[in-house]
Amino acid sequence: MRWRFFTDHEAAVIEAATARIAPGPADDPAEAGHPGAREAGVTRYIDMMLGALDTLDGPAPMIFAGGPWSNRHAPGPDHMASFLPLDPVARIAWRRRLEDWRQQYRQGVADLDSLTGGGDFTNAARADQDRILAGDAVGAFRPLLFEHTIEGLYASPEYGGNRGLAGWRDIRYPGDVQPRGYAADEVELSDGEDPLTRSGIVADVLAFLSGL
Amino acid sequence: MTVRKAVVVGSGAGGSIAAMELALAGWQVVVFEKGPNHFANLDGEGPLRTAFSNDDLKMNVRHFAGPDPLVFPRTWRPPGAPATAHTGAVGELPQLVGGGTVHWDAKVPRFWDIDFQQLSALGPVPGADLADWPLRYSDLAPCYDEVERLIGVQGDVGAIPEIVVKHAPRAGQFPMAPGAQQLASLTLAAGAAAVGLHPFPFPMAINSQPYNGQQACNDCGFCSNYGCPVVARPAALIPLRRALRTGRVSLLPQTMVTKVALAGSAATGVRWVRMTADGPVTGAESADVVVLAASAIETVRLALLSEFPDASGKLGRRLMLHSFLDGTAIFLDRRMHSHRGRSTTQCAEDAADPDFPGARAFAKANGLPYIRGGIMEFGGSQDPISEAQSYQTLLSFVRESRPFGTEFKQLMRSSILRDRLAGCSLVGEELPYLDHTVTLDPAVQDVFGLPVAQVTWSTGRYEQAAQQFYAPVLKSVMSGAGAAVALAVPGTIDSGGLPVGSHVMGGMMMGADPAASVTDGYGRVHGLDNVYAADGSVFVTSGAHNPTNTIMAVALRNMRHLAGTRS
Repeated sequence: MRWRFFTDHEAAVIEAATARIAPGPADDPAEAGHPGAREAGVTRYIDMMLGALDTLDGPAPMIFAGGPWSNRHAPGPDHMASFLPLDPVARIAWRRRLEDWRQQYRQGVADLDSLTGGGDFTNAARADQDRILAGDAVGAFRPLLFEHTIEGLYASPEYGGNRGLAGWRDIRYPGDVQPRGYAADEVELSDGEDPLTRSGIVADVLAFLSGL
Repeated sequence: MTVRKAVVVGSGAGGSIAAMELALAGWQVVVFEKGPNHFANLDGEGPLRTAFSNDDLKMNVRHFAGPDPLVFPRTWRPPGAPATAHTGAVGELPQLVGGGTVHWDAKVPRFWDIDFQQLSALGPVPGADLADWPLRYSDLAPCYDEVERLIGVQGDVGAIPEIVVKHAPRAGQFPMAPGAQQLASLTLAAGAAAVGLHPFPFPMAINSQPYNGQQACNDCGFCSNYGCPVVARPAALIPLRRALRTGRVSLLPQTMVTKVALAGSAATGVRWVRMTADGPVTGAESADVVVLAASAIETVRLALLSEFPDASGKLGRRLMLHSFLDGTAIFLDRRMHSHRGRSTTQCAEDAADPDFPGARAFAKANGLPYIRGGIMEFGGSQDPISEAQSYQTLLSFVRESRPFGTEFKQLMRSSILRDRLAGCSLVGEELPYLDHTVTLDPAVQDVFGLPVAQVTWSTGRYEQAAQQFYAPVLKSVMSGAGAAVALAVPGTIDSGGLPVGSHVMGGMMMGADPAASVTDGYGRVHGLDNVYAADGSVFVTSGAHNPTNTIMAVALRNMRHLAGTRS
């Protein structure tokens, strides 16, 4: 696979790290049947975003997908597949942002490797990878990587992630539905009972929220 | 008649109305817009077209509607704190053709009569700089009517409860009937009714039928914070289009006015700057009249950059950002599917009443003459990226040793903060305070090297008391609706006190007395012959309601006066 920004090794480290943040069936037995970062193409998403730095002045840098809709739920062309040109001020902002992120990724991968006994994060056991990612030594890189993992899972697929709508399907989210929209009954009426058990992490988060 | 020429700074709610009124009166108008234009066919006859799409990443993460805080930051600090507490986005509105009416949820409740006469009707509040507006509700009512017809508003006058009719009487029916009502909104409205409140369909500037040549909303579900892909809530684009069709108006996107050029007490025009691939280009435009409508914070910034006279000492003071109370109702027995339909289709105005049951006594116990909450908004949710960010934060509290992994994905599938959530918030009135200010930041500059707006603001004692009183009321609404979990917390709880939301008012308050106000009874800057403000900056109080249609109605009244007296 050819990368726009990452070296093959950097891509492998990001693939391994994002699979710990959002594991799929291959990464955690609890996720059987539930695609994660690996299956959704999160590494591809991040690489496309960082790679956009090289095309900011071009006609279609991959920063803002076009409009007005994708026709994902209807026949017709995907207008979101064509990216929009950036105005000169936006180019300056995105150049600053992407240069900073590139540097953080380059350093972040180096840090993940150096925090691993053997010097290669991809060779570490999953429990060790989790411990490294949860530790203070990775600093601000974990929140950044987490945010981009979220985007790669749940942003529109035109941005390179959410492959085959894997992220949306797993959370029962239809995404954009223009130009179809919804009928009044679909908006106003309940789909019926759908009970959720208050257990595990859900119970803990609800208890935390209730204490606010 | 000599043709007069105006420069209008900003193309949003106020600027679009100013451009329309002056152009229809025969003036030449140049509209400067700092941001880009994402609409096609603005001056044509057929439907408007747009590059907006239902794209969570583009709108909620990547600043497509701008301003990008890396190039147009602001700073914030609480009053009394010398140091900047935050540099970045502060009370931002979209920065593009159409302004705040592009991303808005298009809610258009009217201010109440007592908002315009707050000092005389309700009395002073210690610490606040309360005053009456130089106009009454009855003066503005015809302008509200006209704005509603102009931009297209849906609502049902027959459903409006008595307390609202008493304080904001209407002459007639809305131009359009309410569209489909969101399940989350109906569910919370039932809870509100169960505890004695009076919910009704939220008036909103969204087409429920074809209007202004634009199609009816098809309830795609991406509404608040998104540009509408089918432009079913065109708002400011309608007056802007009418202005452009006169042939006397030019619209200059991506061009920022940097200074109003003054010669004594008269403005001679403006200086502007535009970024190009080769760097900034500057220029000048002459004008007989300059109208500032850049939204309250940026209008004040421009006034300060231009060194306007300030005899009252109130220029840039009395910034009002509303005091939001965020309610979260979580349903464990069923889903709310708020990704379908316009968000927040029901509201209640009971809490805007200073005589709400128990409010006077609570105020007295807190040493205040009265308290008011504001309009309650029932419904709405968040999209997956924001939802996931919420879990990212929450996991760092409840799973410090491993704040990610399968538990993150389990939360996403549970959807407690998306598909099972119904938003239940209160737009709290905020009083005007002299120490809530917009000044020029001494250290931080924008992409053009100009000092950015420094916002000094915090939640006041009155607002805190109102939040304490109304949080249990919101919770009772949510519990009454059957929510398993009901939370109501100040909007600033996650921000460390940084203001949230985008209701931006004050800084150039209107008033008859030049010694006690910044602009006159029609928005002309005291001490200057021909400079006007026509956005939320001229507000004297913040009301207890979403402000945009009031911005438009006040701009219509004031700009019509300007066109009549100066043509």
